[in-house]
Amino acid sequence: MATTARVGILQRPLAPTGVWSWITTVDHKRIGILYGVTALIMFLIGGLEALAIRAQLATSDANVISAETFNALFTMHGTTMVFMVVMPAGAAFFNFLIPLMIGARDVAFPRLNAFSYWLFLFGTVLMNVSFLAGAAPDSGWFGYAPLTANTFTPSASVDYWVLGLQVLGLGTLIAGFNFVVTILNLRAPGMTLMRMPVFVWMTLIISFLIIFAFPVLTIALTLLMFDRFFGTNFFAMAAGADPLLWQHFFWIFGHPEVYILILPAMGIVSDVLPTFARKPLFGYATVVFAGAAIAFLGFGVWAHHMFTVGLGAWATGAFAVATMTIAVPTGVKIFNWMATLYGGSLRFQTPMLFALGFILMFMLGGLSGVMHASVPVDTQQQDSYFVVAHFHYVLFGGSVFGLMAGIYYWFPKFTGRMLREGIGKVHFWIMLIGFNLTFMPMHVLGVLGMPRRIYTYSADQGWDLLNGIVSAGAFIIAISLLVFLYNVWTSLRNNPRVTTTNPWGASTLEWSIPNPPPVYNFAVVPTVRSLHPLWDEDANPIDPPALPPVDARAIHMPSPSYWPVVLAGAITLLAAGLLIWKQASLPGLVIMMASGVLMLYSLFRFAVEPATEPVHGHGAHGAAAHH
Amino acid sequence: MATIHDHAAEHGRHPGVRQYITIAVILGIITLIEVGIFFLEITSWLMAMILLTLSLSKFALVVGYFMHLKFDDKRFMALFVIPMIAMVSIAVVLLAVFGNLTR
Amino acid sequence: MQYLAGVPEHRTSTGLNNRKLLMWAFLGSDVMFFGSLITTHLIYRGQSLTGPAEEILNIPVTSISTFVLLMSSLAMVLALAAIQRGNIRGMRLWLSATAVLGMIFIGFQMFEFYEFAHLGLTPRTNLFGSTFLVMTGFHGAHVTFGVFWLWSLVFLSFKGKVRQDTSLDVEIAGLYWHFVDIVWIVIFGVVYLIGAYGVEASDAAHAVAGMLS
Repeated sequence: MATTARVGILQRPLAPTGVWSWITTVDHKRIGILYGVTALIMFLIGGLEALAIRAQLATSDANVISAETFNALFTMHGTTMVFMVVMPAGAAFFNFLIPLMIGARDVAFPRLNAFSYWLFLFGTVLMNVSFLAGAAPDSGWFGYAPLTANTFTPSASVDYWVLGLQVLGLGTLIAGFNFVVTILNLRAPGMTLMRMPVFVWMTLIISFLIIFAFPVLTIALTLLMFDRFFGTNFFAMAAGADPLLWQHFFWIFGHPEVYILILPAMGIVSDVLPTFARKPLFGYATVVFAGAAIAFLGFGVWAHHMFTVGLGAWATGAFAVATMTIAVPTGVKIFNWMATLYGGSLRFQTPMLFALGFILMFMLGGLSGVMHASVPVDTQQQDSYFVVAHFHYVLFGGSVFGLMAGIYYWFPKFTGRMLREGIGKVHFWIMLIGFNLTFMPMHVLGVLGMPRRIYTYSADQGWDLLNGIVSAGAFIIAISLLVFLYNVWTSLRNNPRVTTTNPWGASTLEWSIPNPPPVYNFAVVPTVRSLHPLWDEDANPIDPPALPPVDARAIHMPSPSYWPVVLAGAITLLAAGLLIWKQASLPGLVIMMASGVLMLYSLFRFAVEPATEPVHGHGAHGAAAHH
Repeated sequence: MATIHDHAAEHGRHPGVRQYITIAVILGIITLIEVGIFFLEITSWLMAMILLTLSLSKFALVVGYFMHLKFDDKRFMALFVIPMIAMVSIAVVLLAVFGNLTR
Repeated sequence: MQYLAGVPEHRTSTGLNNRKLLMWAFLGSDVMFFGSLITTHLIYRGQSLTGPAEEILNIPVTSISTFVLLMSSLAMVLALAAIQRGNIRGMRLWLSATAVLGMIFIGFQMFEFYEFAHLGLTPRTNLFGSTFLVMTGFHGAHVTFGVFWLWSLVFLSFKGKVRQDTSLDVEIAGLYWHFVDIVWIVIFGVVYLIGAYGVEASDAAHAVAGMLS
């Protein structure tokens, strides 16, 4: 065992560049970039799925795609956008930024961090392989059992969905643990909890939501997996199972998940607004506590997704009240953001435009959302396009606009180059117009009675005009994304490197170091003395100017490792083996046993491997010194 | 209890070997009582409550002494107890909604 | 678990050790895992349409296996106490005892599952079979993983990698092991004793409702 450690591919990779250096990286910034690029690719795929859906629905009685394809597309569009776009995009930001914002050199467990990313990527790939196998999941993104049980969906489609989500969810869980420990434990001296940027706070809250909400999804998926693979009875109506069990578990997870999706955007906007209003965030503590309150209450409102199933008057009433309550902290945040703008010297650069777009669009989504707290209204709107309009205002108008603000804002931090202002503004306006053209008419369609998830409708319903506008809007959004991609491409190619460390004049710690940051982030770990270290810099300098030059080679950074990717691969192979087992038991069994052995072995090696290779440490990260 | 605590204070954060064995004996006795109650076969909610209380006291002893939570940092306690409360609340609500509490 | 180290261990903002904090966060999360499984079992209690259910549970035998797991927890703390005093041989002895007791527990569980299958209860039989066997099986998987972990520590101790100054490795493994034990305390109390007691959960609920009103 020990002898193989230094042979061939198993030798610890020490080169600072090249493909292997990315595969074996444990650097939080590189992992952040991997998350971001993957999320962007999946955003384009999920967007194409949406375009196909809208092409089909643009006119009545259309025949662009079949009903079966339509089902697969809306299922994968939802699953992709939630689990493979917005969540990893959030992860991209907090991987790259959290250590920089709290004054740390990496996360608490760098190899676990890489492990999280590979599990996410492999889970994503595993689920999307279903398209190639001709068995794409087609039961909706919340996979309601018993519809997803063997009786009603005998094809392998749900198997891909369940196993893909399991692998991906494991990665998310581990990332959650990692960031709880990182934020609590790795803060620079003086960085008290109430001096952390709001984005760091929101990430901490999201991490807690992940570690306490994802287990419930994992168990629900496990039960469904056992039903589908081993013939258990959890969702077998014939054996007396309850059809509501899945719905409860899914939404006990699902409502906290909603906040996992929106809180990163709220954190980003809370850091962008002060920078472009040139004044501190109004009521910092209130924004933080409102975020915590949202997370806490988020565990007690799940049944508002189930008002129409007949829970009984008491349960329905209690959950309606809880749902109205959770709107309060959200409203508090919106007032705080508006008060931040009041009296500020506003600069309307692209990040600011997206942040303002976020506030407005998210508010509209929040308003249509709180309507659903009223049970009679909800009963009327259940499963109609009104609901589709609502959650797109929250998830696209909210999360995506917020994430876009973050991309424009931190792009120089990620790459060392600014994005083009002019193209950025064009991008913003096209996206805003396209977004509202797409989703505003859906409110009306919903009220007119158009149900969601229908693959076509007849001309005499009178839904043609509005659906036409919606589809046109969807294509305008696609154009805005092309503008964005062009902006990224041309900015990376043609824009000069930013020369200052703090191009926006921001107040937070990540802007005190070069763009992009060196491998070790901070040459000297800073001491923080206020909530706005860079704005109070004159009074409290972060790095004393008289600091002697630092030898970067003396800074020990964790070494790259193969084991995260190997372990993630083994787990994915185990899931794939289970899929194959259902079709052909012997080959499946062989694959599962082989990958099980590989899993245990790589887990052991992962565990006993020192974080920093003794012979390494100084030298290989000497690359750092050249920055 | 007081003696155990004093001893722990003397020897730093952890109770000593004798205390561990004492706790284990108590755990064993509680388990015996539980099984004894079970075989009394008195069907009543009171017995169910007593069984639940006995299980909870075993739970508390293991968490408090074997896992040192009684002597350790209170933030570890928070990290463990808060999801505990959340999960028990969710379970009670679910059992109520599914009618298990009134059936 | 010095060997599991992430970033070199220096002073942390909270003063809490990174890996110990990670373990407690994991245990908090694991509460939700087991909580969901036990809740599922309770929701489906008495709902099975066919086949054997609660009456099949063998309380005397499970009482013994429960006692075995409780004693393994004692062995675990004794292992920790030994290494904290620098007694490596004592630690090795108690760790091995813990692992062996864990394996005996698993043996009891395999015997139980085998007996149930003999009596016509498999995960496919009815709701009780599904919820009970998946829940206790999930717990058994935790014990099995713990046994692997404990033997790894014994193995590493021979290579001089488990020492007094790295006793935290043993402490963290111990946290995991005791957690698995308390989950079993809950399962034994709620699922076995109360479950097989013939006490309708509703009686207890009426009592609670009575107290509240």
